[in-house]
Amino acid sequence: MVDSGPTALERFINGILPENPTYRQLLGMCPTLAVTNGLKPALTMAGATAFVLICANFITSLIRNALKPHLRILVFTLTIATFVTIADRFLQAFMPAMSKVLGPYVPLIIVNCIIIARCEVCASKQPVGTALADALGCSLGFALGLASIASVREILGTGCLLGARVLPEAWPNWGIMVLPPGAFLTLGLLLGLVEWAGAARKKAGGNQG
Amino acid sequence: MNHLVDLLLIAVGAAFINNFVLHYFVGICPFIGVSRRVDQAFGMGLAVTFVVTIASFLAWFFTWFVTRPGAPVTAWVWGLFAPGSRTVLDLSILNYLIYIFVIASSVQFVEMYLKRFFPALFKAFGVYLPLITTNCAILFACLEIMKHVSGVRDPAAAWGLDQALALAVFGGLGFALAITMMAGIREELDLCDIPEPLKGAGITLLTAGIMAMAFMGFTGVDRGLAAFLR
Amino acid sequence: MEKEARKAPGLLGQAWLILLLAAFFGSSLAGVEIALKPRIERNKRNETFGQIPFLVPGGSSQKSVETRMGGIRVIRVLSDKGDHLGWVLPASGQGFADRIELLVGLDRKAERITGLYVLDQKETPGLGSHIQDKDGFLRGFEGQPADKSLRVVKGRPAPHSGGIRAITGATISSLSVCNIVNRAVRDFRKALAGSEGKD
Repeated sequence: MVDSGPTALERFINGILPENPTYRQLLGMCPTLAVTNGLKPALTMAGATAFVLICANFITSLIRNALKPHLRILVFTLTIATFVTIADRFLQAFMPAMSKVLGPYVPLIIVNCIIIARCEVCASKQPVGTALADALGCSLGFALGLASIASVREILGTGCLLGARVLPEAWPNWGIMVLPPGAFLTLGLLLGLVEWAGAARKKAGGNQG
Repeated sequence: MNHLVDLLLIAVGAAFINNFVLHYFVGICPFIGVSRRVDQAFGMGLAVTFVVTIASFLAWFFTWFVTRPGAPVTAWVWGLFAPGSRTVLDLSILNYLIYIFVIASSVQFVEMYLKRFFPALFKAFGVYLPLITTNCAILFACLEIMKHVSGVRDPAAAWGLDQALALAVFGGLGFALAITMMAGIREELDLCDIPEPLKGAGITLLTAGIMAMAFMGFTGVDRGLAAFLR
Repeated sequence: MEKEARKAPGLLGQAWLILLLAAFFGSSLAGVEIALKPRIERNKRNETFGQIPFLVPGGSSQKSVETRMGGIRVIRVLSDKGDHLGWVLPASGQGFADRIELLVGLDRKAERITGLYVLDQKETPGLGSHIQDKDGFLRGFEGQPADKSLRVVKGRPAPHSGGIRAITGATISSLSVCNIVNRAVRDFRKALAGSEGKD
């Protein structure tokens, strides 16, 4: 393999915006919709996912040359499930209230496509440093995606952000935003917005060039 | 009688009120990805129902007999090693590992079984089977069952096999219902003039939002039903 | 890609590696379990027992014990000195959206409700979720008689008359909570009377 693909730094940056897992690749949709009714659960979720992603990428990259493909998937799953269990127990022990709010969505990280995709696409072929940079970038991108949706929903739904009031007292809380339909509507509109901004920028770039 | 009503309530709750996709957001990937045509969506829905039933059965089995605190098999094996010990073993830390392997192997099993005995059926929805391993809906059903078997505050209220299966079958059917409806709407949407940036996932999510609002109308139905039946 | 010819070890090597990984994962899980289990158990106990002082005045979270009475799970509330002060009765039932789980505080003879706490609910945010307001809806239950059924009224009820003020826009949620409390208290009073008769 002559062409080694993007460097570690490029991968790190790629994960955040150009290949944002939420808006660009539409990966990991369950947590994106389910835990974004407040900024705090969204950030906790992003943290837990980041922990699992970084650890899984690290282990996968360490053993990348030692395994045949069909065994590899098995080992990925084993790795991911182990780290998710650890993350889940830590949440239960140190943030019991938050663990109750997140409920089944913490163990559902096991089947989060972002982690399997990053392990398979990147970490199983790259050295440890690159794999870690990739995981870090992806986690930040995912956190950004979750935080943006959660902020919109929490502000419109309750008039507060992280419990602190941002909109005037007179704001009629849009209850629907913190309910399931609000998740679909917010993500749909934000996706449209990102697409639209991307298209507009491309157009502007084309005119200049 | 009361037990049957309970089962019915679990079924109605799983299929309509707390629909897997529209209330719990699990199985969103196929919901967006495989909902272009009604026949494909229906096939996917049935495949999920099938696998979720088998996986839930196994998950209940392992949770009940092996991992919950004081489970019979674990207690028996422990008794062989340390006779007379009064320690109550709790293996629930292994739950997630067991579930993911149960799911992966039931998908494999269903695939082989269909290929061998029902080639026509395998042709119809065999292509969706590998996708199902990473479908959150299946793991979610297992986790719900775990919550009601080993996570309950009152051990007397733990779910039996019938309740677990009611949740799995009707949760799967609810998923099939939602994805088929979405495919029907999307077939019509193809003929519509949709703003460019919203094409694809955007409009699907907005439609799903409106569907979720419609399904919220089911809230409270189970309460009325229970009052009527009891 | 193919030409790179990974130096993948033979089957035996792979088997050893997987065994090694399994041992590593297994021991790390065991370590986490041993280190965190007591803490998690304590959190779980605190969820219920931590509420005791607010449900039965003077009750102790440490001293109180869980028992069964006629098949009903109940916490016998003791004071720091070990005097029997009352009961905390876990109750649950169907709400508007999902199950509601409650803790009902009762005095020693189960004649008055001394407090109510919502353990778990998924009612509509902004409407039904007001059932967990400690200074609003739940305050209305304190001091109510336990020997007759509580009922939901619109407007302000007379104090301790068995009337609970409904939450605006969430009548069904209010009604559900009342019904759950009524049923649990009625069953428990029956069990209590039965056990006292036997003594």
